[in-house]
Amino acid sequence: MMPRLFQFWRRSRDMIRRDVDAELQFHIDTRTDALVREGASPEDARKRALMDFGDIEDARRYIRRVDNDIEHQRRRRDYVSELRQDLAYGLRTLRRAPTFTLTAILTIALGVGANTAIFSVVHGIVFKPLPFPQPQQLLRVWSANPGSGSRQAPVSPVDLDDWRDQRTQFADIGGWWFADGGSGVDLTGSGDPQRLSVAFVTPGFFPTLGVRPMIGRLPREDEMVRGGDDRVVVLSHGFWQRRFGSDSGLVSSTVTLNGQPYRVVGVMQPGMRFPSDRVEVWIPYSTIPDQSIPRIRPVRVLDVVARMKEGVTLAQASQDMSAITRRLAATYPEDTNWSEATVMPLADAVTGNVRRGLIALLGAVGFVLLMACVNVASLLLARSSIREREVALRLALGATPGRVVRQMITESLLLSLIGGAVGVAAAAFGSRALLVMAAGQLPRTSEVELDATVLLFALIVSIVTGVLFGLAPALRARGTDLQTALREAGRGLVSGSGQRLRTGLVVVEVALAVVLIVGAGLMTRSFIQLLRVDLGFRPEKLLAVNFTINTSRREGQAYRLFYREVIDRVRTVPGLVSVGAVKHVPFRGNGERMGFVPEGLTLGAGEQPPSAPLIHVSDGYFATIGARMTEGREYNEQDGALRAPTPGAVPVFSGTPSVIINLAFAERHFPGVSAVGKTLGLGSNRIPIIGVVGNIRQTTIEEPVQPTVYINNLMNSRVQVTLVARTQGEPLAMAVAVRDAIWSVDREQTITSIFTFDQLVSDAVARPRLLTVLLGLFGTLGMLLGAVGLYGVLSYLVSSRQREIGVRIALGAPRGAVLAMVVRRGLLMAVIGTTIGLLAAFSLTRYLRDVLFGVEPTDPMTYGIVVVSMLAVAGLASAVPARRAATVDPAIAFRSD
Amino acid sequence: MNRESIDLLQGTLDVLILKTLAWQPMHGYAVTRWVRERTQGSIEIEDAPLYKALHRLERAGCVSAEWGLSENNRRARYYRLTATGRRRLKAEESEWRRYAAAVLRVLEPA
Repeated sequence: MMPRLFQFWRRSRDMIRRDVDAELQFHIDTRTDALVREGASPEDARKRALMDFGDIEDARRYIRRVDNDIEHQRRRRDYVSELRQDLAYGLRTLRRAPTFTLTAILTIALGVGANTAIFSVVHGIVFKPLPFPQPQQLLRVWSANPGSGSRQAPVSPVDLDDWRDQRTQFADIGGWWFADGGSGVDLTGSGDPQRLSVAFVTPGFFPTLGVRPMIGRLPREDEMVRGGDDRVVVLSHGFWQRRFGSDSGLVSSTVTLNGQPYRVVGVMQPGMRFPSDRVEVWIPYSTIPDQSIPRIRPVRVLDVVARMKEGVTLAQASQDMSAITRRLAATYPEDTNWSEATVMPLADAVTGNVRRGLIALLGAVGFVLLMACVNVASLLLARSSIREREVALRLALGATPGRVVRQMITESLLLSLIGGAVGVAAAAFGSRALLVMAAGQLPRTSEVELDATVLLFALIVSIVTGVLFGLAPALRARGTDLQTALREAGRGLVSGSGQRLRTGLVVVEVALAVVLIVGAGLMTRSFIQLLRVDLGFRPEKLLAVNFTINTSRREGQAYRLFYREVIDRVRTVPGLVSVGAVKHVPFRGNGERMGFVPEGLTLGAGEQPPSAPLIHVSDGYFATIGARMTEGREYNEQDGALRAPTPGAVPVFSGTPSVIINLAFAERHFPGVSAVGKTLGLGSNRIPIIGVVGNIRQTTIEEPVQPTVYINNLMNSRVQVTLVARTQGEPLAMAVAVRDAIWSVDREQTITSIFTFDQLVSDAVARPRLLTVLLGLFGTLGMLLGAVGLYGVLSYLVSSRQREIGVRIALGAPRGAVLAMVVRRGLLMAVIGTTIGLLAAFSLTRYLRDVLFGVEPTDPMTYGIVVVSMLAVAGLASAVPARRAATVDPAIAFRSD
Repeated sequence: MNRESIDLLQGTLDVLILKTLAWQPMHGYAVTRWVRERTQGSIEIEDAPLYKALHRLERAGCVSAEWGLSENNRRARYYRLTATGRRRLKAEESEWRRYAAAVLRVLEPA
């Protein structure tokens, strides 16, 4: 028996104690003997020896401590040197099998990379705390009208002031009005005129969030109220850099916004991007004049954020808000129906509708990683069968089983860490690509980065992966029976347990693949359904130019004339088929919600009229976007006639008031009768309906179209305009000509944005498309990994049983039967795996319900296609090794190794 | 304790032990005896500090220890100078010589 090298030097505390005692005893004894030889009595000699020694107990304690130190040092050193040995040994073995190593590393890189990329996105958007102090105290608050089922309505600025005054559980409450492409001001006076994207905020906004400016200061309370010195502006960091080149002298200087001087009081921190990445400046809401947005209770425009006091719970906060809203509803008739408030943690509100999809992605990508693990484990197992002899040799040479396991785990970790590093590098590109694909339809994307948390995640995933796939072969090595291994490894036979383990792994893998493909299939079907939705307009070759008319430059109602002139001028541009305008193009705004009383409906006392969004359009808008009139007609130029009351005066609307309704409105309120000729009560007026237009998807593609009312923009005017032009050729090629036509009317007009309707639609499906592409990618990967796993196991089986197969063929087994045997074996694994996978998918895909459109999570068609394709791929993966088996030369049976 | 023996300066013990072991590996008892004989009894190493120092030197990697048989056929712990110990001894030796020379220059009449 060889000495067990690695345990020989280990000294326990007890051994150290005994050794120290023996050493000191030896000294005392030898000294005693010497003194006896000099003539002392043994008793005296021992006494003197002890006395001469000094404080022996103190020495004993001291030496023990030092020896324990030495032992620790030695163990640590041993560990490090063993690790170094293992690493060197591992690197050598990996280098000797480059195909295996490369395959394993790429597989792991794929798994870790995909997971890191998805995690970085999910972490930045969902998990990372919001960039405010104590973000868990922040809530979103909405007005709620329980009667109409409207639970998350914006808040009136007048109500908000009352909320703030009457709050008891909140540190502060603030509101903002921000509409992408809607809320803005014109910056003039320095360089080109520019339309700025603005968040209009109330006095509580900044204190509630707890943000600090990077330079300068925040507006004071008295600078954010009506009658105060409220022409102040806070710049976003990005805007300050882009437009003013980070000039810190800008603070306390003056800029011209909408023709008025505003004082720049501060520049925000780069991280402050609330409520949107696109906010360029924050301006007091009090600067919005009544003629733009009347400051009355029924006008609900503000989004609201509130900060709970220290220690206040969500329930208490909610109670406080309810008490306030009930009080207001009892006091003010306009608020009667708005007797409640909805509160929700701000973090949930920000990420609410994307959370489910992202977490589903994280789950799917986790499956991909599991499959990568299984594949590498299977590879390692195949190798470990080959390496059984090597392991047996090491055991025979005295390595302990624990030591061998450690060496194998070290090797796996080496693989997984290299793979992980490659994966992280790929993830850096991957997560950027994801965000590009999301086309601005995800919140908080600026917070997505490969930060320390993400890297830690990648590291942990790599380590767990390494342990996971390294464990099976390592444990098998531990159980290696020396004699059989030495005997069998020499003859290239496979032990049954290894084969069983690998078969089990493949079954797991097929099951995982099935879950992934079901997810991908459902998402794809859902996406196809989404693309099949009748939008109610034809998006191709439609150019849109969005701008806001500057009312301060046009007194009275002159801006209507400007609107008219711009449309007429653009209509003369060659290359355009038709031109119209609208306040809110589809998917970029929902119109203004108003109460309408359809003809024939009488309201009971205190009953609210049915409400519907009101959208402002020009003549020719419906024809331009390709919407169909189902009844009556759309506006023409006469409907919006402008005439000057006295010569030289500003022209005013002089047409006949009229509205157009959509099909959904007609079906709801005028079922079975012609709506044209009927009237709608709007305020105290009754306005005739002149036409019914087909349903146009407005809010999102998924949501059914609500009953909607359209009104002529020249009758009830809005300054926010999106000019829409159908072009003969490529729409964006016409952008410059259209812009120049607008500028030929007024060179000072700012343009907010230019886009095509194709982009609108593309953005509207960006999120489902992202999910579809990614789940599709993971599904494909899953199927590939599953097929490779199956192929691997079968080809290993065939090559290791060549002799047996040869014997069969030599004994007259038809080659077809041999082929069928292998394929049968592969399909059996696939069938078991598929069955398990279907059951798992059945219980897992209900988490996809929220992101699916027009397809059930249990869609039988999807499941059917998945089963067929999985089995087809499995059959294909089995066919290759089966063919090899069928062509085995029977002579091999008689050859020796 | 011998009255005439020289009080060991701080740090001197280590260099004495290293020098002694440079001759040959030996156990603790042999080190005391060897030093006493070599200095004709003018330097007497105390036992407790000696053993503490031996183990301290082992921890520092200057000496290594293993069990062996003593002259009287008993198990004794033998200490051997390591390469590190040899380097340390050389450094301390020359330090000592410089120090001693300096002291002598002061003490001797000019």
